[in-house]
Amino acid sequence: MAATINMSDSERSSPNDQSVSSRSSNRSLRVAEKERRKNEAEDPFVLALKYFSDVEAGTPVYGNDDFERNLVLVEKVAYSRGLPPEAISIMLEFAMSLRMGSAPCVRVLKCLIPATVVPQEAVVRAVVWLGVGKIPISTQVLFIKWVLTVFDMIDAKDQLRAIYGFIFSYVTEENLVYVLVIFVLVRKLLELQSKLGRQPFLLHLLSLYKVFCPELVTLSIPSRMRSGFRNHISPWKSALIAVQKRNGSQIASSMGLAFTTMDKTSSRKRKHCHLEFPALRPVVNKEAPTDQSSGRKMVPLVQLHSFAELLENMHRIELPAQMGSLLGSSLALQYLDCVQDESALLRLNFWLGYTLHEEFLFCGDGGATQNSEEALQFLNKLLSAHHFLQEGFSSSEAFLYKFLSVWDGSLLRPQILGLLSNIPVVPSSQIGRLLFEPLMQLFFTSSLFFKCGLMECLNSMLLKWLTWHSVYALEDDLDISLNSHTSINMTLSGFKDSVMELVRFVGRLASVGLQIEGCHSLFLSFVLDFYETVCDTFLKYGLPLVVMPPSGVFYPALLATDPISVDRLAYIMHRYKVNLTSAKAQEKQTKQAFHISRQTFHEFNHYVVVMVSCLWNSKMFQPGLDVQLGEELLLKSNVPQYWTSFDLIHHPAFMSYAVDFHQKCWPGKKDMDLSSIKHSKPWSWYLEYLFNQGYDGLKQFAQSNISRQLTAGDGQGDTQQR
Amino acid sequence: MERPQNSVVRTPPNSTAVQRRSKSKSYRQSYRSCLGAASRLGLTPGLTARRLNSSRRALKSHIITEKVNPDHLALLVKREWRLSYITPLHQFRHTQLKRYSRQLSAFIAAEKQQGVAMEVEGSQSGFRVSFSVVQGLAATDDDAETVLIQPQIFSRPVFAKQDEPQKSVWSGWLTCINGNPEYLQSLPKGFTSLPLFGGSGAEVLTSLVKSWFQQTFDCCFGPLEINHTSLQWLAALWTNCHTESNLQHLKMIWTLPVVPPLQITYTVNPQDAWELWMSVRKDRLEKTEDEEEAGSIDIEEVMRFVQGLKSHFYRHFRLDLSAGNLNQVSTALGSAKFSGKIKISNSRYMITTLTLLTECALLKMPV
Repeated sequence: MAATINMSDSERSSPNDQSVSSRSSNRSLRVAEKERRKNEAEDPFVLALKYFSDVEAGTPVYGNDDFERNLVLVEKVAYSRGLPPEAISIMLEFAMSLRMGSAPCVRVLKCLIPATVVPQEAVVRAVVWLGVGKIPISTQVLFIKWVLTVFDMIDAKDQLRAIYGFIFSYVTEENLVYVLVIFVLVRKLLELQSKLGRQPFLLHLLSLYKVFCPELVTLSIPSRMRSGFRNHISPWKSALIAVQKRNGSQIASSMGLAFTTMDKTSSRKRKHCHLEFPALRPVVNKEAPTDQSSGRKMVPLVQLHSFAELLENMHRIELPAQMGSLLGSSLALQYLDCVQDESALLRLNFWLGYTLHEEFLFCGDGGATQNSEEALQFLNKLLSAHHFLQEGFSSSEAFLYKFLSVWDGSLLRPQILGLLSNIPVVPSSQIGRLLFEPLMQLFFTSSLFFKCGLMECLNSMLLKWLTWHSVYALEDDLDISLNSHTSINMTLSGFKDSVMELVRFVGRLASVGLQIEGCHSLFLSFVLDFYETVCDTFLKYGLPLVVMPPSGVFYPALLATDPISVDRLAYIMHRYKVNLTSAKAQEKQTKQAFHISRQTFHEFNHYVVVMVSCLWNSKMFQPGLDVQLGEELLLKSNVPQYWTSFDLIHHPAFMSYAVDFHQKCWPGKKDMDLSSIKHSKPWSWYLEYLFNQGYDGLKQFAQSNISRQLTAGDGQGDTQQR
Repeated sequence: MERPQNSVVRTPPNSTAVQRRSKSKSYRQSYRSCLGAASRLGLTPGLTARRLNSSRRALKSHIITEKVNPDHLALLVKREWRLSYITPLHQFRHTQLKRYSRQLSAFIAAEKQQGVAMEVEGSQSGFRVSFSVVQGLAATDDDAETVLIQPQIFSRPVFAKQDEPQKSVWSGWLTCINGNPEYLQSLPKGFTSLPLFGGSGAEVLTSLVKSWFQQTFDCCFGPLEINHTSLQWLAALWTNCHTESNLQHLKMIWTLPVVPPLQITYTVNPQDAWELWMSVRKDRLEKTEDEEEAGSIDIEEVMRFVQGLKSHFYRHFRLDLSAGNLNQVSTALGSAKFSGKIKISNSRYMITTLTLLTECALLKMPV
């Protein structure tokens, strides 16, 4: 009290001048000018801070040029760049200690705009001053408002408790006291609410408690709630935003999350609501602390708002009341990736499985799948969670096995296929019944579009399985063993069997699909995508398995009408060769390497022989090859030199190139004789020409399979593998 | 908790087993396929379609009146319940019912008055919920005890007498009777399976109670319809009791998919129904002396019984009921509707009925 009286005395003692403020502002302008003019070697800002930290108690304010100059300097920095943490500490300490009375207090508080963070000790110290000092009420309120504004920027999060304590007067680290304080306070607030009615600010305060102390308050918030704390009134907000923008820092509002999630839950009162992710809510009935974790304060996930906070509290995060809520927030997904608790994952799976079943299988509400917009969004979110975690949930897998048998192949096709591609390796004993049978039915009865989509899905499934293998097979070598509880056995041979089953299944699908769709080049392209994965399993993914494509895939690609497909086939055959040779080399080197069956080599060699004799050697329809036609039939067809009709010159895919080449080679020639390209010289030019058109597959194939001293007659390359 | 962690893929004895150990959950999760989950949970949802038991014990009149609190029994019978299935409750404790009562009261009160916060410990709300355990209803050790929920409203009219009983506005229960032991045992610690939920009262309160359970125990509620087969089972099981407790009538409602939809109410004299049932059962009863064997009923018998009823109807009306659906069955012992509403009128046969319904509820479990 005494201080305030003194203050007013001093104010009275400077009467009949012009108003104090205008005088000082004049002076501050002048000082600022001067300040700008001289650029001292030493940083004036540091000097200013030094002034405020060293200034003696009782120094007069009025007529004090030093004070004025320094404060203007600090203000200038504050409004342009924001104050660094140490500056905040010094200025706050200066203001709250009332070293120069309470007059400059407000002005200093107003310019406390943090550039990065607010140090926790500064706030705590200020609170202490609040307790002992004689700060006018209005200034105290201003200070509290300031704390609320910069609340998110206070550097340490364990301070949360201390800050609370400060708001509610008394702080201790003891949990018990803390809870007691909150308890008393909640009661007070509830009492207040009964007196004042539903004031928005009380509601907001109470809903904060709902987040922090759910066991004390039950509250449902009306869907449209006015903003409770009118934060924008406070003088700092706009300045703070400006400074933050300038500094490019983004500090999320901590209150945002709590409110948005609640708003969302209360706003939905529609009938079909299985397709919503539950809101993040803290657990109400806490488990009794087990002996290990006792003494460790758990932090509910709801209270974390940034990745940094998540990292900091990783060891003591408390799971939310409903595990399904984790899928709704990206931060929570980060955490889900580290959840080790089986029962937590089971809870998640219960929820997810329930949701999927109710929506797509039971359809209890009748035509619930009609609102496909919601379903679409739900599945998209689920998919993105899958992608983030790089794996699927077991419940969505179980759901898919059931759903595939009732699916029409068009409802939400991209999403369902996306989920399907995420299923983990299925044991070879089950794979047929669970996956192949329903897929086969769908495949043969649906459109070309679906066929392409499924092919892509199976390719990405295979890729995921192979990637999984290549990642974890390496770990085996390192032999890292944790507790045996989490170990799962999958033998290499078991894995190989599953992959083999999948590849063979796709081979069958592709053969029949190509036939049904008349070797459609779009479908063929998806098939070739798949085989580009298959041919590299050994080198790229370290899986000792080589499976050749069936002839139902090989020939349509070889005889395709577009050069791209033929080129890709050549590339695939080239990769097969590289894989096989390196596998063979490894087999020789290390005795225990895997054994590739003679059958595989035989198939490969056979295909190469066919390719070379068809494309290079013009020996189509010769005995020994797969494609054989009766001599009479061929003669009847009246195709001259039918054996050349699929070499690189006469092949329907390359004919146009041959014509072009012919024109370029012999521009003057009137009658075109494509066979003349076959002569040794122009043939090698022609090949060169083709390779220059970007047919790298053919080029690589030629390089690895066809010997250099190639002549038209005996062009068969070194294709022997054993 | 140590559960037999069966591998997803068994190790063939002769191959070079690559023991993969998980360094991270991620890896484990990769292999926690549906099959993995299946091995973990004993059942294989994706693989073997769980089916209703094809054979069950005949309704035995359990003398549960001696074991179960008569007040509770009185509440359970003579009321129509709307059924739901629930996924296992997480961290549900039978010892914490008092606390749940307070929380649920506050929750209901808060939802009723949007925007007014409720103190959990307070009693100012007009609602008081009581949770109680119905002792003695559980049939096996694996079954969790049934829980009864009764919110009561303090309807305090101005002139209400002091000792006027509080009006119960809604009641509900969660139960598990003879639940599949494999399934129940496979749940990890911390989960309580009470898969069958019945509620009776205002729909609003039902949904409030459900959402409180969802938020508190991380479980999910779905509607449980009593399907065609289950209704036929009930018809047969109830008929089987006729000698002990008069059926009075066996009423079935069938709907036929014609335009406009045709609903047929088919009421059978209980004595006739009983004789038909006995003719179906004759073979078994003659063949076996064994009490055990005689007491069990097969699905074939049920089907033959219903077929008998259908052909009788066909003979008279030239309408084949096989084309339609059984929608409702009712006798003096109780009534059941396809939409998932059931009424049990006689507590003596409650256990077997609830066993059937528990089975239906467990079939709906997603994992």
